[in-house]
Amino acid sequence: MTPPQAAPPGPAQLAELLTAVQASARLLLSGLPSQPRRVHLRAGEVLVELEWAAGSPAIPSADPVEQAANGTQNELECGVSYICAELVGTFYHASEPGAKPFVVAGDLVEPGQQVGILEAMKLMTPVKADLSGRIAEILIADGEAVEYGQPLLAVEPGTKEFP
Amino acid sequence: MTIGTVLIANRGEIALRILRTCRELGVRTVAVYSAADAGTAVVRDADDAVCIGPEAAKHSYLNIPAVIEAARLAGADAIHPGYGFLSEDPDFAEVCAAEGLRFIGPPATVLALLGDKSSARMAMTKAGLPLLPGTLQPVHTGAEAEKAAAEVGYPLIIKAVAGGGGRGIQVVTDPAELPAALAQTRASALNLFGDGRVYLERYLASARHVEVQVLADEHGSVISLGARDCTVQRRRQKLIEETPPPSLVETDVQRIAEDALRGAREAGYVGAGTFEFIVDDAGQHYFMEVNCRIQVEHPVTEMVTGVDIVAEQLRISAGQPLSMTQEEVMPRGVAIECRVNAEDPDRGFAPAPGPLTEFWLPAGPFVRVDTHAEPGQRLAAAYDSLLAKVIVWAPTRTAAIGRMQRALRECRIRGAGLHTTAGFLQRVLDDDRFRAARHRTNFVEEITTAR
Repeated sequence: MTPPQAAPPGPAQLAELLTAVQASARLLLSGLPSQPRRVHLRAGEVLVELEWAAGSPAIPSADPVEQAANGTQNELECGVSYICAELVGTFYHASEPGAKPFVVAGDLVEPGQQVGILEAMKLMTPVKADLSGRIAEILIADGEAVEYGQPLLAVEPGTKEFP
Repeated sequence: MTIGTVLIANRGEIALRILRTCRELGVRTVAVYSAADAGTAVVRDADDAVCIGPEAAKHSYLNIPAVIEAARLAGADAIHPGYGFLSEDPDFAEVCAAEGLRFIGPPATVLALLGDKSSARMAMTKAGLPLLPGTLQPVHTGAEAEKAAAEVGYPLIIKAVAGGGGRGIQVVTDPAELPAALAQTRASALNLFGDGRVYLERYLASARHVEVQVLADEHGSVISLGARDCTVQRRRQKLIEETPPPSLVETDVQRIAEDALRGAREAGYVGAGTFEFIVDDAGQHYFMEVNCRIQVEHPVTEMVTGVDIVAEQLRISAGQPLSMTQEEVMPRGVAIECRVNAEDPDRGFAPAPGPLTEFWLPAGPFVRVDTHAEPGQRLAAAYDSLLAKVIVWAPTRTAAIGRMQRALRECRIRGAGLHTTAGFLQRVLDDDRFRAARHRTNFVEEITTAR
């Protein structure tokens, strides 16, 4: 616990500043061909820095919880969504050992389609997609333990007609 | 038998409190947390942490399969449930046992016996403990209640059989109010505990709340760490706790402690527990309930006895004998605890959470502060309002009150929309009735209405 810094801006002032920063960022992003990996804005002496990913799609965020805050499917930058664990347990790709997996990378899925299974205390809970799209990657190995909110599969959203 | 890894199935200050003792004992820790508690101190400091669900406690801290899965995932061999949440749930204790995990608390059978107020009252009657006039069996019909009420006498209190911690309770002063109050208490008990059974008990408007800290191991040793006074309450939630109880003579405290030990033996108690009593103006005490867990106010007992209660809990659940005998318990001086809650005393202690823009807590000689909060943190509105426990020790009660006043003055807690009980606690400490220990359980109501 440290003593407070000298005269920090009040909550009203902070809110005002944040609004201004957000507006500038939005304006900046709208003029770009694709989303940068990182944006650094500074008002004093004006600095704008953009960092671009090296051609690769978004890497799942290190903090599953952050993504879980908005529900099961989480859209991140670069148009990839995640199907996240709704409970703590063990993730399985198939209905039983040796069986064909529910999905593999490249498969098209639609809302309600089963994509995996989560076992918690001998209780099997189906994991279902809740959007249409293509499975980009299965992030968790078969039989691996996961915590709540952890991303299980990456999905590129789109309809079945969409190649 | 030793414990290698403890999973802490709780949040807030008590999770951190448990973690600290585990660390001192070289025991590995696993924190479990809801999505709303990501980034809190216990999650950061534990050796391992598992997110077990969303903010709603029902889907995270109260979710038995999630906690058990987390224990398996992180390789825990024991679970400390803290207080609240799953701490007194016999089903949880049973599942732990079935899964080969040690539940750090009494056995499921003891939790079931004492958690049901009706069977607890019957067991304590059998042990010879004094009880207030009331019904031993739950009352079901209105007619049954009216007949029983006439025997118990007014004012009386309707309590949920499955209740505890001051919830699911209603006072009735006028017989005409009985039917409505009965229906209401039954409905809220059903809603809160999933059990609508209620019983009646005589209500003492002016009394003191005294409780005894008990430790019992698997080898038949049952000892008392002394009594605490928790008379300063608002809506039956404690605000200030102290030990030893002021205004009770040593022999009275001794008699109450002996009753608690008899009760613990009768129930086959194992673990740390608290026997709660109410003491009337004539100095007679009556059994109220048993809290089968560590309590919020346990630090005052630790401060005067030098016993780490969490460490004893770990020893007991590892099958080891208590680290001391009754004769070796030698309380010294006076300890007081004040609960600094994020509540607005001017609005009936309504929860008033907010961002902790400024958060500076007391320190200095003989001051202990147990908190989970940090500057800049936004308090999750979904959980209880306890912000920090300020505990002081001094050789005498007068010195302890002075030290607490000094400590509370050091608190600087500010944020938009945030209110705390710190100022109100100062007023209580200043009040002559409290200083002379003439206060009773209705004291907070008296102060707030007089204002």
